[in-house]
Amino acid sequence: MELLNLTLGQFLVTFGGVAAVALALYLLDRTKKRHVVSTLRFWVTPGQPAPVSRNRRIQQKVSFLMQLLGMLLLLLAIAEFQFGGGFNKHRDHVLVLDSSAWMSASLPGGAKGTTLMDSVRANALGWLRAVPPTDRVLVVRADGLATPVTAWETDHKKILRAILETTPGSTALNLSQNLEFARGMQERSGSDAGEIVYSGPGRISAREATSPNLPAMPAFRVLAVDDAVENCGLRSVGARHSETKPGVWEILVRARNYGRRSRTVSVTLNYGHAPAGNHTLELPPGEDKETLFELSSRAAGILEARLYLQGAPGDGFAADNYAALELPEQRTLHVIVYSDQPASLKPALESDPQVRAEFRAKSAYTPENDGLVILDRFRPAVQPKGKSFWIDPPSDRSPIPVKERVDHPEGLRWIPDQPLTQGLRARNSQIESTSVLQTVNDDVRVAEIDKGPVMIARGDMLVSGFNPFAGSMRYELSVPILVGNILHWASPDTFRDVDVGTQSAGAVSSPLPTSVDRKTVQVLTETGSVLPFNIRDRSVQFFAGEPTRVRVLSGSNERVFSLTLPEMWDAKWTAPRDARKGIPAWNDSLRRNRVLWPWLALLGIGLLVAEWILYGSYQLSRLQRVAGTARTQQESAA
Amino acid sequence: MANEPLLDRRFLERLERLTIHWQRSFNGLVGGHNRSRFSGGGQEFLDHRNFHQGDDLRAVNWRAFMRLDKMFLKMFQVEPRVPVRILLDTSESMAVDPAKFEYARKLAASLSYVGLVRLDMIELMPFAGELHKGRTVGGGRQRFSPLGTFLEELKASGSTDFMKVARQFLNEFPQRGLVVIISDFLGEENCEKAIQYIADAGNEICLIQLWTDDERSPSWSGEFDLVESETGAKLHIHVDSDSRKRYTEEFDKFAASLRTLALRNSGRYAGIPTSLSLDDAIFVELVKTRSIA
Repeated sequence: MELLNLTLGQFLVTFGGVAAVALALYLLDRTKKRHVVSTLRFWVTPGQPAPVSRNRRIQQKVSFLMQLLGMLLLLLAIAEFQFGGGFNKHRDHVLVLDSSAWMSASLPGGAKGTTLMDSVRANALGWLRAVPPTDRVLVVRADGLATPVTAWETDHKKILRAILETTPGSTALNLSQNLEFARGMQERSGSDAGEIVYSGPGRISAREATSPNLPAMPAFRVLAVDDAVENCGLRSVGARHSETKPGVWEILVRARNYGRRSRTVSVTLNYGHAPAGNHTLELPPGEDKETLFELSSRAAGILEARLYLQGAPGDGFAADNYAALELPEQRTLHVIVYSDQPASLKPALESDPQVRAEFRAKSAYTPENDGLVILDRFRPAVQPKGKSFWIDPPSDRSPIPVKERVDHPEGLRWIPDQPLTQGLRARNSQIESTSVLQTVNDDVRVAEIDKGPVMIARGDMLVSGFNPFAGSMRYELSVPILVGNILHWASPDTFRDVDVGTQSAGAVSSPLPTSVDRKTVQVLTETGSVLPFNIRDRSVQFFAGEPTRVRVLSGSNERVFSLTLPEMWDAKWTAPRDARKGIPAWNDSLRRNRVLWPWLALLGIGLLVAEWILYGSYQLSRLQRVAGTARTQQESAA
Repeated sequence: MANEPLLDRRFLERLERLTIHWQRSFNGLVGGHNRSRFSGGGQEFLDHRNFHQGDDLRAVNWRAFMRLDKMFLKMFQVEPRVPVRILLDTSESMAVDPAKFEYARKLAASLSYVGLVRLDMIELMPFAGELHKGRTVGGGRQRFSPLGTFLEELKASGSTDFMKVARQFLNEFPQRGLVVIISDFLGEENCEKAIQYIADAGNEICLIQLWTDDERSPSWSGEFDLVESETGAKLHIHVDSDSRKRYTEEFDKFAASLRTLALRNSGRYAGIPTSLSLDDAIFVELVKTRSIA
């Protein structure tokens, strides 16, 4: 027992004072008063003695006791009297509401349209009704992240609103992180810790299931939700260029059966709203299966994958039955070669399906260019537009002045750490003759001999003082590597290695090629804004809390993630044995510190009103008067 | 509010449809509205009787004389003009609650107006320790104004002496008639005896007892020095619910004795609490006792 607003001394002094005043008023009410009346005859009954004055004595003991008791109860209400000891202090509870993507699944056995989220909300509201109004509650929405949606609140209306406004997200539940957050908030609140309540079915990832890392919680309650829902869904959809067939996309679709019985599903692919394939899969319970589609298209378009569950019961979770990803256009580079000896260049250019080579005679020269122009020992009157590769231009009319002409030079070497010389390690390649070029400050040296640079990049122009497709060098490995580097230099977007995939939102990890410089990595959203990321163990890691499309750029690689699928669970979490379960019963410790003061106040007021009705002068006499008048009228009428 | 009349015009208009009634037959001149068993110069035949010397020859039934050779006298029913005397208690006990005296004056004014409308002769007499000089009016409603002024100027004072008032009344007004007594009948213990004298003298009595709610069922409790308003007598008393209950029982017993007294003398009794509206008192309570209709 304790008094929250008054100490025992204050309470006793106050009650003593009130009781003394009540007694004084009671006795004062009994002091004689002068009253003029019309007659005295009816006050004295013939044959009976006149009423004796009994001043200074408590005549109506029950009335006085009722008054004192009523005032005692009112005073206890003011003092906020409560039963119990340590339970009576205000406590801080954290309500963790599961708002993972799985919460939008249909409620088993529920009405049409009801979801697991409704059940989670209903359980939370039931628990909230049991919380004493003086206790504070913090509501946390739990999915991949822990999101507090209220402050420490005693206002149940605000808490109620936060519960009702909670909707399923797009990520899977990270239970340990959420409970860790809840425990941390409780420890920092400064008040006594109450319960940490988790309301949800407890569907977690495999990683969390294998290494449960729940914090130590003094009072943990689980409001479980039945989620025995039959569901099959798409796990991921990936697309990449076929390595063997030019212009063909390889589409890899992975589906999973989350239910308890084996199911047959059909996976349908649409590209640009036209059917592109349909595969049927047998999915054992709890297992994944993959299926590969091939799609031939160079044009950009939307690839849609749909999963249909065959037979009854139907799919209880429709959000993971559809995925869409945007396939980029498969570009080609148009290369125009002006040469009188095209045969030496053809093997290097025509081997790449992404290169569309066109060989023209020097006399057919035009400056128009939509890709790359290669000028083989030829200097036109008007320079070509765009990127151009000059092979051994005439010394007197070279676009970059020639310092000297050297025959059979020694020590040809490639300048490292440049895109144009990537993979070129050969030294002392034999060339028959070369022009040594004059450089200025902004020029990029690509190759040089002892007497000076022999291949220079300046703006959109790459000038080589020698012909790499002639002599013994044409048989070296350096030549196709050099051609590849030149083609990349001319159009890096065309030769970027594009990998498109659809998977679930949440934490995403993308492997990084070993050759890629970390500084070149960029993670961009569909609006072009930069998304924070981390590189760990040669993987780019980032988090997307909602469905979006994310591009990961690293060197010449581009990986596009269409994060449109909801993040799904892998395993069912089992609550610890010592956890409290269900909505608190009436004898639960959570309810022990029920606030008594309203009841005490009502009882006190009720006692005072009863005393007034039973012993008060006004109401009783009025009733008697009315009854007497009615009786007299009846007698008069008779 | 001093200039406000006792009764407003609309109430007076409603009173015009009422008539004061009495049960007894009184002797008197033609001109009233209540039939009498006494014969007189009326229009409606009542009976025959033998002719006595000195009777008016014009009333002899000459047809019967021709046939029977005996003289019979025709008697006619008369509706005599009977004086209506209203005795209004103006003792100190009526002023314990000013509303009670005001109520009594309005009641007296109402009855007077009803009588004047029917061309009754109204004699209004205030009394306390003795019968005070009253006001006699008759001849129609236009004579009500001086009566109203007279009532408005009345003050309540003094103690009641019913026996003295009864003796004085019987001396001054030997002609029998209707006597309406408006009082609380609380001042003196032997008022019943005085009322019985008035009734025995051949008058028809109509007792209208007024009381306030506090007079019948007191609302106060505790220790009191009760002072009787008329005599100044004191009683030190402890009032509680029991004593209040006994008081009310005694009061009702007294009211019942007054009622019995009135009925025993073929009169009327009406007990009216001042909490009852004047309208209900006239049109419900008094109509119910057939004092007016």
